[in-house]
Amino acid sequence: MKVYAIYILNKAGGLIYQNDINPGLNKLSANDYLVLAGTIHGVHAIASKLKPTEFEPSSKPFGGEKEIPIESSATFSSSISVRDSTINNDVVNGRWNNPNTNNTGLRSIETDLFNVYVFQSLTGIKFILITSPNPIVHNVASLNLKINKGELNRQFDLAKEIFHNIYVTYSDYVMKDPFYSLEMPIKNNLFDSKIRELAK
Amino acid sequence: MSEEEIILPSIASGVKSLTVNDRPMHEFGYNPSLGPHSNEITESSLNILLNRKTISLTPTSTHSIYDRNILGTKKHELSISSLSFLFGEVVSWSHRSSKGIQDLENRLNGLGYKIGQRTLELVKLRERFKNTKREIRLVEMLQFIHSTLWKALFGESANELERSQDINNEYMITDNCPLMAKFINIPKDYGNLNCSALTAGIIEGALDSAGFYAHVSAHSVPTDYMPQRTVFLIKVEEEVLIREDLRGGPMN
Amino acid sequence: MSRSGEEVWKNSTEKINSELFTLTYGSVVAQLCSDYNNNYNLVNKQLDSMGYNIGIRLIEEFLAKTGAARCHTMKETAEIILKVGFKMFLNITPQVDNWSLDNRQFSLILNENPLADFVELPSDAKDLWYSQILCGVLRGALHMVQLDVSVWFVKDVLKGDDITELKLKLNKILKDEVPAGED
Repeated sequence: MKVYAIYILNKAGGLIYQNDINPGLNKLSANDYLVLAGTIHGVHAIASKLKPTEFEPSSKPFGGEKEIPIESSATFSSSISVRDSTINNDVVNGRWNNPNTNNTGLRSIETDLFNVYVFQSLTGIKFILITSPNPIVHNVASLNLKINKGELNRQFDLAKEIFHNIYVTYSDYVMKDPFYSLEMPIKNNLFDSKIRELAK
Repeated sequence: MSEEEIILPSIASGVKSLTVNDRPMHEFGYNPSLGPHSNEITESSLNILLNRKTISLTPTSTHSIYDRNILGTKKHELSISSLSFLFGEVVSWSHRSSKGIQDLENRLNGLGYKIGQRTLELVKLRERFKNTKREIRLVEMLQFIHSTLWKALFGESANELERSQDINNEYMITDNCPLMAKFINIPKDYGNLNCSALTAGIIEGALDSAGFYAHVSAHSVPTDYMPQRTVFLIKVEEEVLIREDLRGGPMN
Repeated sequence: MSRSGEEVWKNSTEKINSELFTLTYGSVVAQLCSDYNNNYNLVNKQLDSMGYNIGIRLIEEFLAKTGAARCHTMKETAEIILKVGFKMFLNITPQVDNWSLDNRQFSLILNENPLADFVELPSDAKDLWYSQILCGVLRGALHMVQLDVSVWFVKDVLKGDDITELKLKLNKILKDEVPAGED
């Protein structure tokens, strides 16, 4: 998988950072990038409302509609056990658990020419990756569903790891920079160079 | 035979000697001429013992800084992030209340100055037990700052220590990767600003406290691989150089 | 909780000697006291707002490094602040105590406080909460995960109290600010 570009969106969906770290993707106009960012943000928000009717939300923040946290209700304890199972896997594998919060929304878009991955932090910042498409999906897809699925997960895991590294770099070189104002465009040579190192 | 005064060895002459009939001033206490008998608890002395008002002087709390060993056998460590976040906010707070880049650097320098004064004391106090030498020559003092003090604060020695060949009162300490400013990117429109001005203040505070009066400033001298490389320019006061001459001329 | 504080501290934290941090904070407090002419209420306020500015940034590193998922109760929140947050940033693990009946308020008890090493308060500084910046940090960080809280000191060993204690109270959950797409 080749990462063509990394975008960062603020809470309102504004494009605050853009880095075409590997060549291979054609350029759009500056305005098109803003529209692309805003559109992904909007589609993500709408898509989060889209779910099968039998879908039970696994958990609601702080017990959902009631503001006082409910501790021992049945829904709550069941949600915990669901969470725990995923957590344990991650800990056992020594892997970092992805706190990607858009569980019901959009996480990836796959096309013949490129893939898009979306990661949203608990604070509402979005990181977006534009990558090369996964060739296996389109060549072997119809032949062997099992391999196809594994390959998909592999690419997804890879994206997950890249997101983790970008997020840590962002928290180091953007958040600790006193000359950066939150929510504003990131113009930072040091961050640029660290992101480029990640892409290698 | 004239009457001889009994001289009690424990009582200075001029003070009236005690006799068997003397009672202690507070009705309580040892009377040497009575012996152990004087310590007997009587009704009145018991009263004093039970009813006196006191302030406890027994050490009960170990929270006071004076109860702890400053030599620091066990060093506490914390994340560099805590320092970086604090420093970032310090820069941004100083920035909000300063009139320009020079003013901002002065403020940072002032904050560092206090740290330098205290660090010098702390490091010297700890060092004393291993090394009784005191730096009285400028070069020795600079070497101390470059190595011992730097290590105490930042975990390792600074990279270079140099003397200017052109200007006789200028010295330079170089740090290839200054710890405090590690995550700070100076925007283009901030010109020559270097947030390590605070570290420059630390050096200045330490040098001044040691009697080597100097002015210290921080300057970015980046290389391709070390974008944060900083040179601390130390301009020593004239009087220090005169003293150096009296002590046998410049050292190398 | 996905990564323990111990794990983050051991494996993904660059560590430094805490003294530089302690002295830097001390220098800031001293400067504020002189800026505000020893009006300690103003100093507390300023420290709190500086802490808030730190908190709203620091939360990103906390989330990035721990991979923590959203908490569902204040009990969980308290646990993760104490065992992961304090551990990974300050390398201390405070105790939690004094839960209110509705489970919206608790005490944080600091057995050690790297901010206040080397500190002795002058006798006229009774109104100063020396480590007030911590309150701001917690308030800022929790605000970014959509929890509106109040945090304040009730005891400080620097003032002769037997322990150092902070109170944290949940005011409300900022539902409008919860990003779209959460389950």
